[in-house]
Amino acid sequence: MNSEETTVAGQRSPEERRIGVYVCHCGGNISDYVDVKRVVEAVKDEPGVVVARDTIFACADATQQNMEEDIAQYGLDGLVVASCSPKLHTVTFRGVARRAGMNPYQYTQVNIREQDSWAHTDDPDGATHLAISLVKGGIARTRLTTPLEPLVVETTQKALVIGGGITGLRAAIGLADVGLEVFLVEKERELGGWVGRFGTMYPHDRSGHDLIAQLVAEVKRRANITVFTNAELMAKSGSFGNYVAAIRVNSDLPELIHVEVGSVVVATGFDTYQPEVGEYGYGIDGVVTLPEFKALIDASSGPLVYHGRPVKTIAYIYCVGSRQPGANEYCSRYCCAATAHAALQVSGLDRGVHQYHLYRDIRTYGKYELMYTDSRKHGSVYMKFPDDSPPAVARTESGTLIVTTRDTLTGGEELQIPADLVVLVTGMVPRKNDELMDLLKLPVGTDGFFNEIHPKLRPVETVVDGVLIAGACQGPKNSTESVASGLAAVTQSAAILKKGFAELDPLVATVDAAKCTWCEKCIDACPYSAIEKAEVAGRTVAAISPSICKGCGGCVPVCPEDAIDLRGYTDAQIRAVIDSMLEEPVA
Amino acid sequence: MSALVDAGLLADVQKFGAADVSACYSCGNCTAICPLSDNDGTFPRRLIRYAQVGMKDALLGSKELWTCYHCGECSDTCPTQADPGGFMAAARRYAIANYDRTHLARTMYTSPVAGSVIAILLAACFALFMYASHGAQSTTSLNLFGFIPEPLIHNTGVVVMILVFLAGLAGVIGMARGISRREGISVHDVVGSRAALARSGRALWSALAVESLGQLRFRTDCESVQAEQPWYRRRWFIHASTMWGFLGLLTATILDYGLALVGIKATGTPVPIWYPVRLLGTVAGLFLLYGTSMLILDRLRKANRAASDSTASDWTLLVLLWITGLTGFLIEIALYLPSPPAWGYWVFLFHVSVAMELVLLAPFMKFAHAVYRPVALFFYALAGDKANAAR
Repeated sequence: MNSEETTVAGQRSPEERRIGVYVCHCGGNISDYVDVKRVVEAVKDEPGVVVARDTIFACADATQQNMEEDIAQYGLDGLVVASCSPKLHTVTFRGVARRAGMNPYQYTQVNIREQDSWAHTDDPDGATHLAISLVKGGIARTRLTTPLEPLVVETTQKALVIGGGITGLRAAIGLADVGLEVFLVEKERELGGWVGRFGTMYPHDRSGHDLIAQLVAEVKRRANITVFTNAELMAKSGSFGNYVAAIRVNSDLPELIHVEVGSVVVATGFDTYQPEVGEYGYGIDGVVTLPEFKALIDASSGPLVYHGRPVKTIAYIYCVGSRQPGANEYCSRYCCAATAHAALQVSGLDRGVHQYHLYRDIRTYGKYELMYTDSRKHGSVYMKFPDDSPPAVARTESGTLIVTTRDTLTGGEELQIPADLVVLVTGMVPRKNDELMDLLKLPVGTDGFFNEIHPKLRPVETVVDGVLIAGACQGPKNSTESVASGLAAVTQSAAILKKGFAELDPLVATVDAAKCTWCEKCIDACPYSAIEKAEVAGRTVAAISPSICKGCGGCVPVCPEDAIDLRGYTDAQIRAVIDSMLEEPVA
Repeated sequence: MSALVDAGLLADVQKFGAADVSACYSCGNCTAICPLSDNDGTFPRRLIRYAQVGMKDALLGSKELWTCYHCGECSDTCPTQADPGGFMAAARRYAIANYDRTHLARTMYTSPVAGSVIAILLAACFALFMYASHGAQSTTSLNLFGFIPEPLIHNTGVVVMILVFLAGLAGVIGMARGISRREGISVHDVVGSRAALARSGRALWSALAVESLGQLRFRTDCESVQAEQPWYRRRWFIHASTMWGFLGLLTATILDYGLALVGIKATGTPVPIWYPVRLLGTVAGLFLLYGTSMLILDRLRKANRAASDSTASDWTLLVLLWITGLTGFLIEIALYLPSPPAWGYWVFLFHVSVAMELVLLAPFMKFAHAVYRPVALFFYALAGDKANAAR
C-alpha cells in the first residue's frame, strides 16, 4: 500500500466523496462541437458527484466565485473542471479550491478542448462521447485524491556565481546587496571576461575595461563576496536550497574548497564564432573577425594601419556564423550594432576611410538604430546582398584584396570592392561547457545554449530548482541585456532564499520500502540524481529526495517490484481513469 | 561582368553640388513621383545609389541622367531632404567634366575663382588677338570689317569651331560608348540592318526633333509644378526662347556667309532692316535676349528648384550668352544710327571676342548639354522602341 491510498483522517471513502463537476463551453470553442449539456447529464449521477453544471467560461471571475460558493454550500472535497489544457488553467482552479478551503491537489483538470472539440470538429457526436469519457475519467481520479501539502525546505542564505564577466560581476554585487553571502568563481586568472578586453562600447562610448574596473572595485568593497579566480566548479551535491559546491582553485597548490549555497547563478558567457580557413577568405592576410578588428581599432589612436599598410577602405561582411541554415540558425543579436559602432569609431580615427557594409538584414534594433543612421551620415555604405549570392573574398595576383558582391538596391549587378581590410562580422556561439552541463544538469537547446523554463514568464530559471542562468550563456545578448538578466537572477535568488525556506510541489515519486529490493534500475532512470541508497529497518532500499525529484515519473515504470508511486498520479488513480473511460463506449 | 567600385565617387560628385545626397536611404519616393521615370528608365534613386556605392561607369553610362529636366518634384517629396533633383544636376556637371579629357570643365565647375579668371582671360586674349590686326575706324560709315578684318574673324572662327568639334566629338564618343555598353547595344544594333536603321531613324527623330527641339516631355510632363505661371514665364518657354534664339542667330550667320559665297551679298554690305537674313537675326536675337534675361532673373530670384542652386559655371554661360545677344543689338543700333558712333567699333570687338569664347568653351560647361542630352535621348528612345517591340 502506498501512502496515498491509506485512509487519511477525515477523508471520505471514494464512493462517498463530494465532488463538483463543471463542464465549460469556452464560449463555443467547446460547445460548437461537444454537446455540453449532454455531458453534464451523463456524469451528474456518477458516484461521488454532488453537483454538476455547465459554464460559458469556467475561468471567468464570476464563475470562479460560483464554484467557491458551491464548494462551501455543498461541502465539496473534490473538484473537476472540464475545459482547456491543464497548462492554461490548472493553477487557476487550484486557486479556486484553496480560496474555498479545499485542498488544491484534490482538483482535476480535464482537457476537452485541445484534445477533443478542436481535434474532432467533423464529428460532434463522437466528440461528445469522448468528452463524457474524459470527464468520467477525471471524476474517477478525483475520487482517489488525497490532500497533499507542499514540501517545505529550509534554504541557505548564500549564492554561488559561476563566471566573472560583466553579468557575473553585476549579479554578485546584486546578491551581496540583498544580504546574501556570495561566492564568485572565475575560470580565468583575471575577472572581466569579454567586456574587460574591450575599449569603447556602445551605446554610451565608455570603455569595457573601465566598466569592469568599476565593477571589480565594487566587488572588493563588499565583505560578503568571496572571489575565486583561476577556479572551477568540480562537483555539486545536496538538494534545492542546500547545495554543496566543490570549487577547485588552480594555484601552485591546487585546493578543493567546499561551500554551501542556496542558489547557483550560471553566467558563463559565450564564445565568438571562429570561421573556417577559406570561409569568406578567412586566412588571407587582411581578413579578420570582428573581435580581432575591435582589438585593432581599440589599440589605434589615429588612422588605421594593418600589418604596416594604411587602411583606407574596409568591407564588413555580416552574419558570418549566424543565421546559417543547418548550422547556427539564430541571429547573434549584438553584431549589427557592434559593427555600426565600430564603423563610427573608425570614422572618428580617420574621416577619410571608406566603409562598405555587406549585410543580409540590419538589426540595429531599438535605440541602436541611431548608430546605424549616424554611421551612414559618416559615409558608411550599407549594401544588402541576396541570400543565395553571398560575397566572396580573394586576393588577386596583383595583391589587391577584392570582395565580390551584389547590391540589391542597384538591381543586383556584380560588384568588386577593392578593400584594405575585410572584417567578418562573427556572431556568438555557445561555450564548450560539457563538464558544467553534466554537473549542474543544465538543459541545453538545439542551438547549444542553456535553456530557461519559459522565455517570458520564467526567463532565468532552469528546470533544476535554485540553478539560474544569466547572460549570453542563455543565448546571444549584448552586455546591457546580459546585465539585466543577471539582475533578474539576483531577484529570483532573493525570492527563493530570503524567506529562509522554500515550498516545493508535493507531486514527487515515493518508494514503498517494504517492496523495494535495491535493484538500482531506478537510479539509471532518474535524470536528476534524486535517488540514493538508504537503510530502512535493516534493509537496503532506494530513497528519493523530494527536494531533488521533479516528479517526471521516469522511475515508476522501470521498477520491477512496483515499489515506486508518483503522488498525484498514483497507479491506482491512473488505473481508475482508464477503467472508467473504458466504460463509456466511444462511437 | 563585374564592376570595380570607386569608393571616392560620391565625394567626387559632391564637388559639383549635391551636398545633401548622403542622406538618401533609397526609399524610392523620388522615382515614384518623377513624371519622367518609367519602365524604360528609372531614376533618380538608382543613380544616387550608383554614386553612393561607387559605380562610376554605371553613373556615366546612364541615359537616365540626361532625361531629367530638374522640375524638382523629387526634391520636394524627399523625406530626408536629400535633394535628388540637385543630385541629378550635379551628376550631369560631373559627367560633362568626365567626358572632357582636358580637365578644363572640372576646373571651371569646381573652382569658381579659376573659372572666372579663365573666362575673363580668354575673352581678353581674343580681344587682344583681334585688336593686334586692327585697321582704321572709319568715321563716315560704321565699317566694322575695316576695323577688324573679316577674314581674321572668319578664320579664327573656323579654327575655334574645329577645336570645339573635336572636343565635343571625343566627349560624345566617350558617352555613347559608356551608354551602349550599359545598355548592351552594339554598332550592329544601330546601323547593322535595314530594321536597325529604321529603328535608329525613329530614335533620332524622337531625340532631336520631338524631344530636343520640340521639348515635348519638358512641356507636357514636367511643368505641373509651374501650372500657376503664364506661358511666357514657364521654364520650357524660357528655354525654348533661348534655344531657338541661339539657333536662329546661328542660321542667320550661316546664311549670311552662304550669300557671300554665292555672290549675292558680300559680308558687311549695309542692308535694310527688313532684309530677310537681317530680320531673322533680329527676331532670333530678341528671343535669345528674352530667354537669357529670364534665366538670369530666375537664378537671381531662385524662382524654381532648377534655378535655386547656381554654380559659377552656370553663371558664366548665361552671362556670355546675354552679353553676346546684347552687344549684337548695340551693334545693330550703331549700324542704323545716322552718324557712326566710335563706341560701335569697341562693342563690335567685345562682341566678337565674347562670341568666340562662348563657342570655344561650349564643350566645357553647361552648353555641352546641347550635344549630350540628344545623345542620351537617342538611347532612351532606342530602349523604349525595343521595350515596345517586346511588349
